[in-house]
Amino acid sequence: MTRQRIVITGLGGLCALGTDVESICQAMREGRSAIGEISTPFLRDAKTRIGAQIKQLPEWDIDRRRLVAIDRFAQLAAMSAEQALKQSGIEIAEMDDTRIGAVVGTGIFGAETADENYFALLVEKKPRASVFTVPRIMPSAPAGQVSMIHGLRGPVFGVTSACASSNHAFGAAADQIRLGRADVMLAGGTDAPLVYGVVKGWEALRALARETCRPFSADRDGLVLGEGAGMMVLESYEHAKARGATILAELAGSGMSADATDIVAPTIEGPAAAMQACLRDADLGIDDIDYVNAHGTGTKANDQIETAAIRRVFGTHADSLSVSSTKSMHAHCMGASGAIEAIACIMAVREGVVPPTANYREKDPECDLDVTPNKAKRRNVRAAISNAFAFGGTNAVVAFKAA
Amino acid sequence: MADDLTNDIIAKVKAHADPGIGEITPETELTALGIHSLELTEIIFDLEEAYGIEIEMNTVDAWNNLKNVGDMVAAVRTLIDKKTSA
Repeated sequence: MTRQRIVITGLGGLCALGTDVESICQAMREGRSAIGEISTPFLRDAKTRIGAQIKQLPEWDIDRRRLVAIDRFAQLAAMSAEQALKQSGIEIAEMDDTRIGAVVGTGIFGAETADENYFALLVEKKPRASVFTVPRIMPSAPAGQVSMIHGLRGPVFGVTSACASSNHAFGAAADQIRLGRADVMLAGGTDAPLVYGVVKGWEALRALARETCRPFSADRDGLVLGEGAGMMVLESYEHAKARGATILAELAGSGMSADATDIVAPTIEGPAAAMQACLRDADLGIDDIDYVNAHGTGTKANDQIETAAIRRVFGTHADSLSVSSTKSMHAHCMGASGAIEAIACIMAVREGVVPPTANYREKDPECDLDVTPNKAKRRNVRAAISNAFAFGGTNAVVAFKAA
Repeated sequence: MADDLTNDIIAKVKAHADPGIGEITPETELTALGIHSLELTEIIFDLEEAYGIEIEMNTVDAWNNLKNVGDMVAAVRTLIDKKTSA
């Protein structure tokens, strides 16, 4: 039996680069970084003041009864889902709504709600928590909210694997279609981590950049936190064709692995195994890949080890690859990273534009791939992979190709 | 004429209700307030705190037992009276 092809027919996203897919892509084509000063009261007196924040959310037509129960991270997911569904042309009212579901990744949880709850109880000495605390915080809330707001009654759940959550979500959602549990799945990830508690946690890890995120640049000094979400509409090739949908790209495959070594320190073997598994799953050879959207966090450890892992997998073809870390522009959006980076990959495949690694200044002999410094590059991209290597050693790589 | 307790409770309800619903009276049905189902519990918490009483109702009980704002006032008044006579 031949394997069912899974295609993408809708895309949605919000991050500091823009609040829809086209404006995110435009910023990536221009190599514009959205990292800057954070202006949110939720940061309180944290030392870190830089990040990639969505300064202004678009108007959202939603019943206030729903809104009171939604943390920012679930709101971003639901808004992205709305954009993706709109582009796909799917009318849920006209289909069997038990055949459409959603898998939404998050690396954190409803962080704003968690912070505000503890401040209210411990600092302001409020006698009780808000009644909405639990439904707003839970990591499955984005998936649940997407289903309620958009009326999906098929398989709906959250996935979490720190910074690889979105890529695990894509893989898990495609599986639902291949296993016959759904015809259409929304998949992606979300996080809104720009709050005191989360930022202090990252400060403690000494992993945050002082000025900006400079992946693969010799003078890189860490990652920058960002917020955002991305969602895509996935369906079988046959289902998309039968309804005359515009196919944006194919989700060619996914590969997963675990380092099983250390909670924070990455290995070369784990990431390499995930990339290899992805290529096998997608039935793509190393020579078929033109672009690698790197995990590229901008930390010393990640970028060097990722370079070595890419070299191990691709051998001499590694020097023909275009590589970039778009985290230099939208920052590290935690569990949403893979979803926003998928937008970059799909743009590369569709338009032949490789988004750059912004903020790049100095060559690092340990990161000697073509990292597309500062300027987008025009080239035909037949297929692209997107890497996500998370704390906990949970790795997931997805492949996209022209449909 | 509404008394102080009624006015006070209406003010607390108003803080949660949909701003678009207009005037709230004892006859206003709770379902007309435009509140999330869990928000009724939040309103009950506010009342417990304000009057030093304990309303022993979970969210489901509250929706089943109370139909309009007047019912809420009556429930609170009974508990306050019980407290002062104890």
